[in-house]
Parts: sequence; C-alpha cells; structure tokens
Amino acid sequence: MPRFARSIVDSATALLVGLVCGGVLMRAFGYQPMAAYRALVVGAFGSVPDLLETLAFATPLALTALTFSVGVRAGLFNIGAEGQVYVGALGAAFVGGSVLLPPGAHLVAVTCAAMACGAAWALLPALLRIWRGVHEVISTIMANWIAFFLTTYVAVTFLGEPGRAERTRPVWPTARFPVLTEDASLTAVAFVALGLCLLVYTYLWGTRAGYELRLVGSNPDAARYAGVRTRRVVVASFLLGGMSAGLAGGSQVFGRPPAWSLYATLGNVATLGFDGIGVALVGRNHPLGGLLSAILFGALQHGGRYMEYQAGVVSELVRAITGLVVVALAVPELWRLIWRRR
Amino acid sequence: MTRTLRVEMRAIHKVYADGTIALRGVDFRIGQQEIVGLLGENGAGKSTLMKILSGFVRPTRGEILVDGVPRRFGSPADALRVGIGMVHQTFTLVPVYSALENILLGQEATGPLRPPQWRGMRRRIEQLMEETGLTVPLDAPVETLPVGVQQRVEILKVLSRGTSILILDEPTSALTPREVTDLFAFLRGLKARGSAIVFITHKLREVLEIADRVVVLRAGQVTGERSSADATPEMLAEMMVGRAVVPRISRLFRTPGRPVLEVRSLGVLSDRGTLAVRDLSFEVREGEVFGIAGVEGNGQSELVQALTGLRPAASGEVLLHGAPVLFLSPLELYRRGMSHIPEDRTRFGLALEFDVAENSLLGRQAEPAFVGPLGRLRWDRVLRYAAELVDRFQIHTPGLRVPVRSLSGGNQQRLVVGRELSKRPTLVVAVHPTRGLDVASTAYIRELLVRMRDEGGAVLLVSADLDEVLELSDRIAVMYEGRFVGVGTTERWSREAIGMMMGGIVPHGVQDAAVRPVHR
Amino acid sequence: MTGRGGTLAVYVLLAAVAFALWRLGLALWSVLEAGLLAMTPLALAAVGECLNEKAGVVNIGLEGIFLLSAVTGVWTAEAFGSGAVGLVGGALTGALLGLGLGALSVYGRADQVIAGMGLNIAALGLVPFLLIGLWAFPGIHLFAPELTVPRLHTPLVQISPVTILAVLVALGAHLVLHRTVLGFRIRAVGEAPEAADASGIRVERLRLFTSTLGGALAGVAGAFLPLGWFGGLVKEISAGRGFIALGCVVFAGLEPLLALGAAFLFGFAEGVAFAVAITPGVKERVPFYFVNMLPYVTTLLVVTVAIGQRRFPRTVGRPYARE
Repeated sequence: MPRFARSIVDSATALLVGLVCGGVLMRAFGYQPMAAYRALVVGAFGSVPDLLETLAFATPLALTALTFSVGVRAGLFNIGAEGQVYVGALGAAFVGGSVLLPPGAHLVAVTCAAMACGAAWALLPALLRIWRGVHEVISTIMANWIAFFLTTYVAVTFLGEPGRAERTRPVWPTARFPVLTEDASLTAVAFVALGLCLLVYTYLWGTRAGYELRLVGSNPDAARYAGVRTRRVVVASFLLGGMSAGLAGGSQVFGRPPAWSLYATLGNVATLGFDGIGVALVGRNHPLGGLLSAILFGALQHGGRYMEYQAGVVSELVRAITGLVVVALAVPELWRLIWRRR
Repeated sequence: MTRTLRVEMRAIHKVYADGTIALRGVDFRIGQQEIVGLLGENGAGKSTLMKILSGFVRPTRGEILVDGVPRRFGSPADALRVGIGMVHQTFTLVPVYSALENILLGQEATGPLRPPQWRGMRRRIEQLMEETGLTVPLDAPVETLPVGVQQRVEILKVLSRGTSILILDEPTSALTPREVTDLFAFLRGLKARGSAIVFITHKLREVLEIADRVVVLRAGQVTGERSSADATPEMLAEMMVGRAVVPRISRLFRTPGRPVLEVRSLGVLSDRGTLAVRDLSFEVREGEVFGIAGVEGNGQSELVQALTGLRPAASGEVLLHGAPVLFLSPLELYRRGMSHIPEDRTRFGLALEFDVAENSLLGRQAEPAFVGPLGRLRWDRVLRYAAELVDRFQIHTPGLRVPVRSLSGGNQQRLVVGRELSKRPTLVVAVHPTRGLDVASTAYIRELLVRMRDEGGAVLLVSADLDEVLELSDRIAVMYEGRFVGVGTTERWSREAIGMMMGGIVPHGVQDAAVRPVHR
Repeated sequence: MTGRGGTLAVYVLLAAVAFALWRLGLALWSVLEAGLLAMTPLALAAVGECLNEKAGVVNIGLEGIFLLSAVTGVWTAEAFGSGAVGLVGGALTGALLGLGLGALSVYGRADQVIAGMGLNIAALGLVPFLLIGLWAFPGIHLFAPELTVPRLHTPLVQISPVTILAVLVALGAHLVLHRTVLGFRIRAVGEAPEAADASGIRVERLRLFTSTLGGALAGVAGAFLPLGWFGGLVKEISAGRGFIALGCVVFAGLEPLLALGAAFLFGFAEGVAFAVAITPGVKERVPFYFVNMLPYVTTLLVVTVAIGQRRFPRTVGRPYARE
C-alpha cells in the first residue's frame, strides 16, 4: 500500500476508535450516541452558515497544528502552543485596541504583533533546550502556565475594557479583518492562515533550511554528518511554531466577531494549543494534512455545541474524543492490529 | 565416532514480518562433545538459526528436539532451562553493572523483595572461573572492561546457568589473535568436560582449526556439511558463496604524489574521557590507498571522526592540502575536497525515512548548483543528479521517490558510496565500506575505490576485515590501542606478523614468506 | 553554574522569598502546612514515575491520571461514605490507566509521549463530561465535609496522613530500588532490556508492573486533591501538577528520595502562593497572578539548573523489540 494511503488509513482508524469510545461513554451515562453524532454532523455542515462557522473554528486549529507539526518534523515535542496563543492574543489586543493606525497598516501591524509575540514566547524553551538540554515537554508546559497568569494579569490590569472587566477593549475597526458573510464569524483571517500553512509547506519541502530541519528530525546523526547546524534548526522550528500559534491567538481577537477582544478568562483562546496536537497528529504532521484535519476538528467543535443543545451531551466530550484519537494514533500501524491478525 | 545426539532441528523455516525469508527448511544436528562450526557469509541465516535454538526467535515452521524431547521455546529462559545458552555477537550485558551483577541477573535465588544473594554467587563464580580457566574482574562495571574480557563475562554468565550446549556467534570478531588462541583452548577444555558447542563464523581458517564438523549455510539453506578433517578452505568457500572467491583487483602502476592528508601527533579523546588516539602521525598521498588494519575498538572510530569533523581533537594537527582543518565542520571539509563513507550508513550516511532523491542531496544541500535564490531547492536538478547516481552506480531501486529504507543494504551503500565519490573528492575516507554487503556490491565498491586511486585520488581505508585492507592498500598500518604498531608497504609483513601486530606485539625482524603481493 | 550549587541557590532564593513575605506579615507555619499538603500529590506521583522510568517507560499522562482519579475518588468516597475508600478508588483508577498506557507501550509499541499526551487531552474533556454525568452540575462539585480525609493535629501544624504515606512511599521505593532483587531487575531492564531478556527476566511484565504501580500512586495523588486537601472538585483541579511532578522526576534523576525533596521544594512554593492569597495585609500588596506563577517558575528554574548532571537509563521511552 503506498505511503500516502497508509497514512490516511491510520488516521481514519484512530478517528473511528475515538468515535466508538465516545459512543460507549455516552451510552454508559444514558445518552443516545447516534442522535448525538447526528446532531454533531448537522450542526457542523447542515447549512452554509454552519459550514462557514466550522471553517472559522478550523482556522486557529490549523495554525496550532502547524506549531506541533513543525516541532515534530525537527524531532521536537513543542506543546507550548497554548501559552504562545495567549501571548499572541495579548499582543494583538494591545496593538489592535490601544494603538491607532491607518486602515491597511493597522491590519498588518496587528497580525505581525501577534506572530512576533508568539514567536518570542517560544524562544524561551528553545534556548533552554539548546543551552541546557531541558526537555521541551516540561519547559513548554511551564511556559504555558506562566503565560496564562501573565496574560490574564496584563489583560485585566492594563487592557481591560472600561466598564466591562471580563474582556479587553475590542480592537479598533481598522484592526479587524473583513467578515466574509453576515451569519457566520468567518473572516478573511482564514486566508492568512491558509497562506501561512502553504508557506510552511513550501519552506519544509522546497528550501534548503526546510530540508535541514526535516533531516534533523529524521536522523540527527546524519544531519551532523551533512554539516547541519542543529541549534539553528531547533530555534527555527520553535520560532515558526510560535509565530503560527501567535497568529492563532491573534486571529481570535482581530479575526473573530462578535467579541473582537480577548476574554479575561482567556476563554476564547484556551485549549486551542492542546487541541492542535490532536489535529496535527491526525493530519500526519503535515501542513496540508493539518488543514484538512483542522476542518474535521472544527466540525467536531462547532457541531459539538449543537450536539449539547440537541442531545444534551456536554460539548467537552469532543475533547475527550480528541484525546482518545491521539492515544490511538500513538500506536503505529494501529489498523493492522485491529483489522488484520498476523 | 558415533556420538549421542543432543539437538536435532528439523525443517526449520523462518519468515520475518516484513517478508524476508531467513531460513528455508534447514536441518541441523549437534552431537555430544562435539564442536560444530556453522559457516556462512553475512545474511546466510546462521545467527537466525541459532537464535531460534536459544529461544530468542520463534520459527515459522519446523521442530526442535533436545535429547530426544520435542521443545518449544517461548523465551531465552525456556532454552536455558534445558541447557542451551547463546553468547551473542553484540553482548547482552548491562554496561553499568559489574561482572558479578551481570551474572547474578536473573538468578538471584531469592524473592523479589529480598536483597540479592551476592556472596553465594561470588563463590559459585570463583569456582567456575577455576574450573574453566576464564578469569574476569568481578567488581568493575563491565563497560570499563576490554572487549575480550567482556566476552568472557558473557561466557561465564551463560555457563553459570548450567548450559551444556553453548552457542557462540562470531566470537572472534573483536579479539586479538592471542585472545583467539586462549578462547580455542578454553573451548577444547569445555568439550572435553562434556559440553557441545556451536561456533558461528564466516572465517574459514578458524572454523577448520576449532570445529570437528562444519555446516555451511547460504541464503537460508544448507549447502554442505563436512568433517573438518575432510574439508579444505577452497571447498568451504565455494559452498559458502557458490563460486570461486578471491577477486583480485588489478591496478595501475603509479608512484604516489604529494601528500594530501598529513596527520601530526594527533590525540583524540573517547566518549569516556580516555585517550583513544595517541600521538598519531601519518600521511596519505595522491594516488595511493592507505589502509588502517586492526581490531575494532582500538581508536579507529575516534580517529575517523576527528578527521571528518564529527569529533573535536584533543591535540595535534591535521593538514588537508597543506591547510589546517582540525575544527572545521563536515561541510567545510567537503568544500576542501574530503569525502567520507561512514562506518554505519544507517546512522550517519542516510536518512532512512527520506527518499532516494533526498538522500542523494545529503551533504550537498548547500551547494549553489542545487539551491536557488531565497534558499529554494532546485528539485529538477536534484532529481537529475539522483537519476545519474542510480544509473552510474547501478543502484537497484523501484524509483527515486522511494524511501531509502526499502532498499537492500548493498544498494543503500552504493548510494552512499556513489554520492560521496561523485563529489569528486581529492581524499576519500572509507570506513568498513563493504561491511554486511552481498558479494557483488562488495567487489563493485572495492573496484571503485581502486579506480579512484588510479585516477590520482587519495584513499584512507579503515577496515576490520584484514583481507579487504590487504587487497586494496598500497601501504598499511596496524592500529592498536590508539597507536600505529607498524606502517609499511603491503608486502613487508606476513599475515601472521600482521596478526600479532593487531594484538599489540611488534614482530622482531620477522620476515616470513611475503604476503600475497598486490598486482601492480 | 554546577548542579549542586545551582539547586542550593534555588533553595536559598525561596528561603529569601519566604523571609521577605514573613516581613510583610505572613504566618510561616501556615506556609509550611500548605506546603506539605502541596508536596503530597507531587511526591506520590513523582516517586511512582521514578520507578517507571528506571525501568525505561515514560508516562507523561500523570496530569490525566490526576484529573480522572480525582473524579472517581470523589465518586467512590460518596458511594462508600468514606474518604479513605475514595483514595483507594483513585488508586484503582490510576492503576488501570497506568496498566493501559503500559500495555500500549509494551505490546502496541506506542509512542509513549504521544500516548501520555493523548490521555491528558482526553481527561481534560472527560472531567466536565463526568461532572455532568455523575452529578448533573457543570464545572464544580462539592461533597460532604465528612468525606474529607481527616488531618492529624500536632501542636504546630496539621498534617494529613497521606503526607506521611507519601514520605513512607518514597523511603520504600528507595529501599526497593537499591536493596532488593526487584529494584536490581528494574534498573537492569531500563539500562539494557536485551541483557535482562537474555537472563530470563520478563521485560514486558516488569514494565507493565512499574507502569501500573506508578499509575496507582498517581491515582492516590489525584484523589487526594479533592478528598485530602481542597474539599471540593473543580474542572481544573490539578492545574498542571502532573507536569510539575514530571519536573520533580527530572530534577531527582529518577531517585525517589530526591524526588521527595523536589516535591517539597515545589510544594513550598505553592504553599507560599497560597498563604499570600489568604493573608490579609499581604494579599493586597502582591498581585496574586505573580504568586500563582511561583510554582511554575520554580520548576522551570530548577529543571534548567539541575538537568546538566542527570543520567537517565539508556532506553527511557523506547519500546523493546526482541526480533
């Protein structure tokens, strides 16, 4: 079986495992799995506005998936997207809400601010890794939590909306991406996200730096032999990942009506990072695979809300299913174990 | 003499999960107090067969009878229980544990929550060491012990389980000639005391010396069986490879030119902090092959790594075309004309997940020929180059976009060698270039190296295969414990003399019949 | 900065912070009390994971085990009317999860880090689901105060019996690891599974054992959070403690007693944070955001400083394949 097809079968099997387990859980607590899943699908794809809303959910996921994927391709386990998302959103809220700039420039500035903040937050674990050999699982998780408190502090203390403490000041209209239709929250920021995914794809397979990054991830000894500077690759991978996550966070501020701001609880940007891991794995750690996978998970999230409304199943079960899919994907050739008995 | 049959293996088949057929219906017998030699080249199936007998691998089909009783081994523990134990090519020792701890492991003789019975085991081992004549220090971590001593620990470990059928897999590959003699004496003693022994090897002379009977395997089947009294090396070699061996590589007559590589008083530290290369000086000239012989582990790896930019040197200097190069990166060295065929191709020479085209780019990914503006890779040129390599070096591959891990070892090595030679280097550093390869690829790659020499290139060859060094080199050096014990042209010493040098003994003006001269 | 000097510096730093806060009006005994409570779950989970990693298996799903055993622990406590039984329920949950992850790693050749991460993500989603499913109330569940595990009263501080258990477990683990056959084999399996296999040791079984045991200990820790400490169950009850426990493991170089020390260090940081948040006079002057960051910053500092010296078993995280 060609490699490409094998990847799809792996992902599909894992997805199936997750959905079946989710169904079993639902049953155990008296819910109706089929009704719930039907509601899920209807909620995600049932109408054009729903479809667009699914894409709106998919946009940041594709980006946080990119963070994890670029890490894995370089042989790293960068799970710091959570924190990088928060910090990116903060940067966006600041530049978008507290600074005044002419229309075109403001959009560019706010986008760059989000990406730069995310990248900066990713720099710390990168440096700790190359200078002290600190494993990035621990450093990124700690950075996530520190970012959580730091971001809430700054958002509430300095950027809060006057009179309404539960979110930051909505960004100026000049810093808002154009909304695509009236009845969905999808904005043109989706195109920026798409562009970034394509850019990363070109980088990884079309440039020398990308080749060297993949080489370090595939065989670090051979990379040394080929004269690759591993440290640079590590930093590049983290920076790219941070940029992407920062944009994901920013996209919820300058690319998502109706709030156009950052919640003080960080509710509109939380869990994007962790969910991105599942999206990346199902997308086989490929920038374009991540796009498709993000649409799938966006459907799960958007449809999940309707599922809760219609079938009473808590929408967070979707996250549980995501986790189970990740566990299933951890087993190589899972489909072989299930479908065939050797 | 008729012997009681101890082990009978019938119609053993082994097919691995990925489809490779390792054994196709092999019958094998071991008699009481017999040393059976199991002969074959790399990949013939000898190790697999014995791993099945010792419980490490399960056969796909076939049966095993031990002392007449059919047995099925689920794990090595099962085989040990009926007295079958194996000493592997790569040792199964816990590096940080001492010899005592390693031998004790698995037979601690008390419950899990009690302390291990050190004293009882120490007494048992001391007794065993006396009986067999094998002595080892019991309390040092085995990773600090020399390879020959580690092997003795392995053997003691297996013997302490009460094995009466001992299997040794290529036991002499890391031993000096003196250690080999000691080992053979020990095996004969063991046989006299009632054990049966299987001796796996690919070395013709050794198997004739130690074994009573020789069984030859080729491509998973038995191609012949002789008692050693009736066998000759030529006969065995033919059974082993199916045709007359010993290809002679003809070469041009030439006088070597200027030095390309000059090494002066080089010192290199090993991973453990000891001096692996001590005060080494030599040079390699245009148009010659300089071969470094010696048993692995005497500093060759560290020497090569220091020369090729993969390890820092502690002292000394190295000049390439007259310019100092000691701390340059591999990329820099390549720009100055050095090319490296690494000793472990899957570790250093290839990225197994990448395809053939991407691997052909390895090491060359910074060249302007392949990289355009903004760092963009010129894939059309890369593909064209890869296709050339495949064609020129006869690499059998279904395509250029196939992951390299699906290629056979010989084709993988052809890719590596082809890539390195097509860089048009002035110096090639080749380390164990034909290890583990099929006969055709081996001959082909050796040819390539000699061709390079003929055209004026310099070749530094490092190999543990003495035949290879002798066949290819114009000058050879024998490396022992980080130093060169002797440097000279190939005709200068006899094979035995070289063997002694590999063991650290400098021959005093011993001039036996000259080594088979290389064609000039 | 050497490892020794660096960790000493961190201790000194924390002592300095505590001193400064004491000058601000903080009661140090309440810090110690809170610190011991915070140390308990970290120590239990870290010691279990030390044993696991000594055998060569990595379980980064500790956070997920904390979350799920917190829920099942409370449910069990309510079902049987006793907090102690709740702890057992948590232990069983953790054991099951540890066994599952272990089996996936050992038999399924799963990528241990990804599988662990998957468990963490799944737990994040399961906890809210279970809160509604079991108690029909989103986000939080308060249970009867009689169910909390009672504390022992000493003149200076109140100590939970689970804290004492944690210390005993750390001692026990150290003894087992270095003075018994079991520990002898565990270490061998982590360093050189082929050697252990060749000596007749069942590598897979031993790894399953350590995985299950580690999971059970983490399960007790998880159930302790609501039952022995907070008195209530919320969605984010573990707040990254599973990962802090991993930080303890790294800092300790897989030695159980050092892990206990590291857990105390982080627990102390958390104790300081907690005390600051409740002491009038102090809490207005120090923004609680920064104090809340303290455990995480400490972990980061300690891991950065200590990591250079640590030696890990050769095969940590890699599945063993015999053929």
